[in-house]
Amino acid sequence: MKSQRLEFAILRAASLLAPAEQRAEWLAEWRSEVWYVPPSGAARFCLGAFRDALWLRRNNPGPMSVLTRLDSPIECLAFLATLAAAGMFLARLPMSRDPMLPSALSDGMALGSMAIALLLHLLAPAATIRAMADYHPLPWACRLRRWIFVVLKTAFALLIVSCGLFILSFAVGPVACQGFVPASIVALRWVVIDQRQRCPVCLCLLTNPVRIGRASEMFLDWYGTESMCSRGHGLLHAPEIPTSCYDRQEWLHLDGSWSSLFSGAAGMRR
Amino acid sequence: MADTAKLSHTSAMILQAIGVGYIYGYTVMEVTGLPSGTVYPAMRRLERDQLIRSQWERQSIADAADRPARKYYKLTRSGESALEAARNRYPLLAKLVATEELEDA
Repeated sequence: MKSQRLEFAILRAASLLAPAEQRAEWLAEWRSEVWYVPPSGAARFCLGAFRDALWLRRNNPGPMSVLTRLDSPIECLAFLATLAAAGMFLARLPMSRDPMLPSALSDGMALGSMAIALLLHLLAPAATIRAMADYHPLPWACRLRRWIFVVLKTAFALLIVSCGLFILSFAVGPVACQGFVPASIVALRWVVIDQRQRCPVCLCLLTNPVRIGRASEMFLDWYGTESMCSRGHGLLHAPEIPTSCYDRQEWLHLDGSWSSLFSGAAGMRR
Repeated sequence: MADTAKLSHTSAMILQAIGVGYIYGYTVMEVTGLPSGTVYPAMRRLERDQLIRSQWERQSIADAADRPARKYYKLTRSGESALEAARNRYPLLAKLVATEELEDA
């Protein structure tokens, strides 16, 4: 029996990229296949597993993460507010105060750093911005509610990032501040991506994603994913690749005549 | 939408390989000359599009041969029609991955 420690180590590392619920079977397939590969090419063969695992990760329609399970806007904001409150509570503990503002840092430098941080907060969205869906005209109440939700979500997300780094600075020192911009960008990207996956009317997460069309036929038709609002407010068409015809997500509003198709939706429509 | 899928060269080669009997991922790699990082994601894509289907062989068969059980792939009905369309589209496909090679192997 040939030793395949290196190959198995590569496969195990690659398996971390695969979705958890498919990881065991994915690993079993690659391990069984590598058994047949000549030892001279086995390591190279295993490197392809990373690409395969990434593909699986990108195309996994499996269970959603904790954050995307926060279906309703109230649940989402409550979760973020809880996290932010916990972060602020921990950041106020005496042990986590000193490292962020070392004695060598004068008040002027501290103020300057805060000003730069604030500026970067304002500039960060420019680096993270992704086109929102084309929602067509929506009632002003819906638009207002959507923007209030975005603003609150952004504020909580940035507060969580700030508190997290503040607490982290206790362990690693002021160098934690260096992670402020990247962490803010990740948080803002999450805000935008989450918003793109929500119904513009009720702000709940869209469900039942269905793949439409084929990549090879995109010249005459679009292909991508169609999700729907479980309350029957509409459908969201998300093209897989932005083209000149379909460069952004498009929202198709469904009026009340469609409500009979959505079980229990009639009473839930707002 | 057309009845049969239009395949890329890579997908057509993999479909042809599976169609003539190279039913394991590594054997598809060997016969097409494509790297593992191309073949396995492509096969998953074909499976997602229901052109092929995968199945684990019975453990007893693998145990009898003293080797790990393998996952093998087979064409579905729509995969067969897609392959037929691809063969018409790429006439050299049948020569690239021919049945004789399998018999020789």
